[in-house]
Amino acid sequence: MSAKLRITDLSVSYGDFAAVRDVSLEVLEGQITALVGPSGCGKSSFLHSLNRLTDMIPGCRVTGEVKLPDGTDLCGPYLDVLSLRKKVGMVFQKPNPFPHSIRKNFEIPLREHGISKREVPEIMERNLREVGLWGEVSDRLHKSALNLSGGQQQRLCIARALALEPEIILFDEPCSALDPLASGVVEDHIAALREKVTVVIVTHNLAQARRIADRVAVFWLQDGVGTIVEVGKAKDLFASPAHPDAALYLSGMRG
Amino acid sequence: MAGISQKPGGGGEMTETPSKSAMLSASGFSRKRRFADLATGIVTGSAFLLTLGVLAWIVWDLVRMGLPQISGEFLTGDVKEAGRSGGIGPVLASTFLVLLCCMAAAVPLGLGCAIWLSEFVRKDSRWGRLVRAGVDLLAAVPSIVFGLFGMAFFCQVLGMGFSILAGGLTLACMILPILVRTALSALNALPDHLRLSSAALGMTRTAMLKKVLIPAALPGILVGVTLGVARALAETAALVFTSGYSTRWPSGLGDSGRALSVHIYDLAMNIPNGSARASASALVLLLLILAISYLASILTDRWLQKQTGTK
Repeated sequence: MSAKLRITDLSVSYGDFAAVRDVSLEVLEGQITALVGPSGCGKSSFLHSLNRLTDMIPGCRVTGEVKLPDGTDLCGPYLDVLSLRKKVGMVFQKPNPFPHSIRKNFEIPLREHGISKREVPEIMERNLREVGLWGEVSDRLHKSALNLSGGQQQRLCIARALALEPEIILFDEPCSALDPLASGVVEDHIAALREKVTVVIVTHNLAQARRIADRVAVFWLQDGVGTIVEVGKAKDLFASPAHPDAALYLSGMRG
Repeated sequence: MAGISQKPGGGGEMTETPSKSAMLSASGFSRKRRFADLATGIVTGSAFLLTLGVLAWIVWDLVRMGLPQISGEFLTGDVKEAGRSGGIGPVLASTFLVLLCCMAAAVPLGLGCAIWLSEFVRKDSRWGRLVRAGVDLLAAVPSIVFGLFGMAFFCQVLGMGFSILAGGLTLACMILPILVRTALSALNALPDHLRLSSAALGMTRTAMLKKVLIPAALPGILVGVTLGVARALAETAALVFTSGYSTRWPSGLGDSGRALSVHIYDLAMNIPNGSARASASALVLLLLILAISYLASILTDRWLQKQTGTK
């Protein structure tokens, strides 16, 4: 399995506050990589730096290297951030559809990336089917997306991210704002993305990581700064973690 | 919120008082508290009635005095005998033109300024704070000062003379703070996840603004525009020195023209027996403000439907 993202010595800081230090990780193509660990140890900061959303935060500084297989450095200064974000999509913790109709939620980003208005309905239908939402919303595509339930909104956001045909999708605790049933449905659709796209998912739900992840990276605070203390195949890591803190955390004894 | 948070407190009171004497004092206490609610209801209710009464009285007075004067001829006819007879046709025309100049200058400037402050400047930056302080200061300047400034700057320095254009631009300076403030708070109130999700989809800031943020903030922006229109239509002092008080039909933006509020002021203060006509003109002004804000809300609703794709 080849590496889709090769991350070397990545550090993220906000002003004087260091959030992540010297993280190196290989994200393998077509796999689901889960980032787990207690709150406040830099998982989200790390994830947001992978599609340069950290650029939006004043005072945020990212150093290190994030390389695509073709050698592009995502942290490089001359990178076309807009096309990067088409290639590396993101789904957030809180479902965040635009306060527009379901159709417009697809039309706006698709048109931004040069897709003609005629092609939108077909792409929208394909991706809504992909997340099992088509049957539920096909008769109300002109209604506001905010009328949907939380779980439906989150699946809409996944479909919207998929519509841009990304190579990688980053999920930032996509199920933590949903009820258990909706969470299960969303999780199944994320699991179904395996081998179609490369997935990196931050989750606080260890059971979820165990169920869907191929590889797991454990974040922990070291000297007050977040970093990865252990990476491995999900099966191996859950069975016999080497790092003492990670072992307690993964077995549910701590954290 | 307040109603909900009171309940547990009230319940806790009763359960924490087991002895009989304590129960009695507790019920006396809660009676006092219930009386407080009653008093609050009475005080706020009377404030509401009083406000409504004042408004009703003003409107009734205008209708009683002014309505008999209003006719087709009054709305379109020339001003005769300094307003004692004839109509307010040219005054209405000048008013529209002044308002048009004012809004054409103030809306893009105000919206642009608000967008820059909310989307392109760090909230704690020196520039942002400077402009915000400046805007607040402008809002506190009395309109007569704007009038004198307009006369010195637009009429004399820029050589516009007493003209509708100079009047409109002076009003634009005056309502800018209102527009900037309301548009800024509408944009600041938008949840950040709209910006994050747009950015995560690889949208430019321009597209984010045009397709997502402005449509979402539009109802708030519209409140500012409506307040601005009302303020501009109601303004007298800033116009007397800039657009003047000629009662001829304006043939262009370079002409001097009398706005409705200036006409009302003149009728009420300078013309003997002008008060009935002043009331009629004021009634027209009131209806005009109502009509414009209604029209504005219909137009924005249509535009919003198109932007958000909802039916």
